[in-house]
Amino acid sequence: MFNPSNTYDLLKSIIQLSTSSIPIQVKLDRMLQSISGAFQSDRCLLLKPEKIDKSGFLSRLVSEKKPLWVEDGASFQKENILSEEEGLLCPTFACIPLYDETSFQGILYMGFSKRYKFSPQEVDLLRLVGEAMGGVIRNDDLRQKAEKTISELTALYEIGKAVTSTLKLADLFESIVAMGLKILKAKGGVLRIEDRRTGELKVKCNVGDYHQNPLDEKIARRVFYTGTPLSFNHSGEEKPSFFTLCAPFLSKGRILGTLAFYDKDSDSSKFDERDFQLLLMMANQMSCTIENALIHYETSEMAQKHEKRVKELSTLWELNKALLTTVNFEQRILMTLAAITIGDGLGFNRAMLFLVNEKGNTLDGTMAVGPDSAEEAGRIWSVLAQRKGSPSDLILQLLSSPPKDSVLNSMVKDIHIPLEQDQCILSKTVLEGRPFNIQFPQSKEGWLQTRCERGCHLGSEVGCYVGEHLSRDPKAYSFATVPLMGKGTVIGVILVDNLYNQNPITEEDIRFLSMFANQAGLAIENASLYRNLKEVHQELKETQNLLIHREKIAALGELSNSIAHEIKNPLVSIGGFARRLHRAIPDDAPEKRYTQTIMIEVARLEKILTDISNYTRDESLSFKECDLRKVLEDSLSMIQERIDTGGIELVKEFSEEIPQINGDYFQLKQAFFNLINNAYQAMRGQGRLSLRLHPFAKNGAYYVRVEVEDTGGGMDPENLHNIFNPFYTTRDSSLGLGLPIIHKIITSHRGQIEVDNYPGAGVTFLITLPSKEGNEERHNG
Amino acid sequence: MKRILIVDDEESIRFLYKEELEEEGYIVECAQNGEEALEKLSIFKPDLISLDIKMPVMDGIEALKRIREKERQLPIILCSAYGEYKQDLTTWASDAYVVKCADLTAFKSIIRKLLGLS
Repeated sequence: MFNPSNTYDLLKSIIQLSTSSIPIQVKLDRMLQSISGAFQSDRCLLLKPEKIDKSGFLSRLVSEKKPLWVEDGASFQKENILSEEEGLLCPTFACIPLYDETSFQGILYMGFSKRYKFSPQEVDLLRLVGEAMGGVIRNDDLRQKAEKTISELTALYEIGKAVTSTLKLADLFESIVAMGLKILKAKGGVLRIEDRRTGELKVKCNVGDYHQNPLDEKIARRVFYTGTPLSFNHSGEEKPSFFTLCAPFLSKGRILGTLAFYDKDSDSSKFDERDFQLLLMMANQMSCTIENALIHYETSEMAQKHEKRVKELSTLWELNKALLTTVNFEQRILMTLAAITIGDGLGFNRAMLFLVNEKGNTLDGTMAVGPDSAEEAGRIWSVLAQRKGSPSDLILQLLSSPPKDSVLNSMVKDIHIPLEQDQCILSKTVLEGRPFNIQFPQSKEGWLQTRCERGCHLGSEVGCYVGEHLSRDPKAYSFATVPLMGKGTVIGVILVDNLYNQNPITEEDIRFLSMFANQAGLAIENASLYRNLKEVHQELKETQNLLIHREKIAALGELSNSIAHEIKNPLVSIGGFARRLHRAIPDDAPEKRYTQTIMIEVARLEKILTDISNYTRDESLSFKECDLRKVLEDSLSMIQERIDTGGIELVKEFSEEIPQINGDYFQLKQAFFNLINNAYQAMRGQGRLSLRLHPFAKNGAYYVRVEVEDTGGGMDPENLHNIFNPFYTTRDSSLGLGLPIIHKIITSHRGQIEVDNYPGAGVTFLITLPSKEGNEERHNG
Repeated sequence: MKRILIVDDEESIRFLYKEELEEEGYIVECAQNGEEALEKLSIFKPDLISLDIKMPVMDGIEALKRIREKERQLPIILCSAYGEYKQDLTTWASDAYVVKCADLTAFKSIIRKLLGLS
């Protein structure tokens, strides 16, 4: 039975509990215990609103908002009572709805197993307690809502903070999705942005497996095209259930992309209206930031591109500046390759240059720049890293101390590739006039596995000289080639690789290299033209000098010939009468020696005059097909006896196949006899006389070369340039007019005579005569 | 006694040849040029003629031609300071071509050979 003195204790306990900070559930439980204890009831419950069925008597209570007191349970009308409500029908029970102006919090129920009569005080007390409990529940609801709102606001604030703290697109997208997941408590999210160039919607950031839902993309596209947000709940049986929210990013009327979240992290996985509103808020808040970031991204991308272009152009300008400091062909090539390999230039590890040889129709290795080993590479790079200055300064520094000849360079110089077939990548580059970027082992093209027929020395699986010889591991060798462009034609190929640091060669690298190759090509072509011009100029000058020299000799010859004629007759009579006197003088007379001297000196003068006359005589030559081997053998036979009996060793090296020449047998015989005789005499009975005869070809014409070598100690270098001058040599009686005559005979055969003088050792005379074909050609020309 | 006509424009040469050949036992007559040689040909009736080539008035080549018109068999030696006229086909009409030399041994032996004395 209720003891009125308990009223105070109950109210005290209820007030204490309602203001305490224990969790709401415990709080309510303890309140029910206090109430039950005070009223000594058998059951005391708090029925929550969601557990009240709408068709039962309890719901009537809710709608009527009036407490129900039943002191005689048996007399309680049984209709409208649901089966689950029957348990509440005790002999005596009371139901007090808890509500205020805006909401309904539940029903406080109390049941007695025996009949019981409520006093008016008890009814008041129970109402009072009910109101207190209702207040507690309402306060707790409000607190929960406030907390949630605060946490959402905090999250939104965090997003705002995060997204405005970065303009990096990837970071921004990531933080938006992460925050969204946190706020909406979703299992996954995906952010899409329109690609400006293609107009397509592209996933920029995602969490979870959104792609497993076939509708995800369709939903995103629909939201993107309509600009309308969408909340989509799919809970079919065939497909897995799927709940998604998707909102567009709208900024100044333009749709930038979409933001979607799916599957709430709760039992039902469903999102509610509030979540949807939150998403819209987020999307709105983010739109402006995203647009700014996009603009920033595009601007910086453009700026980067421009910066790169400017850098490229300034590098090109620098390299060009360096190239233009010289017109020397070799130096320009070295500079070109240096520019390609230095870090501030194009930065490749190695560069090789091949030039088209139009005469031979080949591609000839010309020069290579690059370290021979990884160790050397490291050393060079660390040295280069310490040098300061613009690329052009660096290149010029490099030129002032050119690197020592590398293995790579000498190897490249040995490469000659025929141009008529295009199996080799290098000739293919020339023939097609375009760059190739060969990245192994990803792209093995068929033609690389074929073998070049000749010149290329192919043979590895890569099938290319390039791969086999320029890399340690041809199968994994990556390189690129670009054509070197002259004025409208391909004049060569540049091959580059990054053998040591293995940096991949990008299409961008190739584009820049091609740009540079176009400029370098022109520079190299110009240098080459300049070099040719210089050569031709030099040749012209030499020819001119030669002509002047010949003119002089001819004039001198004419003069000397007429002098010789005038002198000859008096000399003959001087000599003749000296002989007569000589015969007349007795053998023991001292005058005998005088006449003897006159005779000898006259004989010498006569010989000189004959030589002069022979030299200047313009005899018409009788050119016939002529075998030089026979000429030499015949010349040799004139002196053979002396050689055989003396201390001179004779070495003959005659090639098997000697082409015939057009010439005057007797004159050539005289010339070679003189040469052999000179050599013989120079050795003074001791030494080795070598005769060599062999054919050779030059610039497509064929020649025969005779070499006469002695070990007679050589000539005084001072006299060397005068040995073919007839009046210089007359002073040296041992040479006489022999060499000028030989020279004349050889040149009248359109041949060439050269002297290799080794003072202290000996002299080699090199005579080159055009073969019959070559000779006829020239005659016709 | 064989008769030799020496034709040369040089006085000293004529003198030398005359002395040397007379010493060999020949009868020697001299002429200064081709024209004089032609005049003396019928008077002196030489067995052999030594003709210099380069001479004023009429040179040796011309004289050789004229003499050969009359005397097909007469031995004629062309005697020049140098060998440059060897290329001239007319010189082939002579019996010998001798380059003048202080040593007359070769000259004398050719004369003997042409006169059938050795």
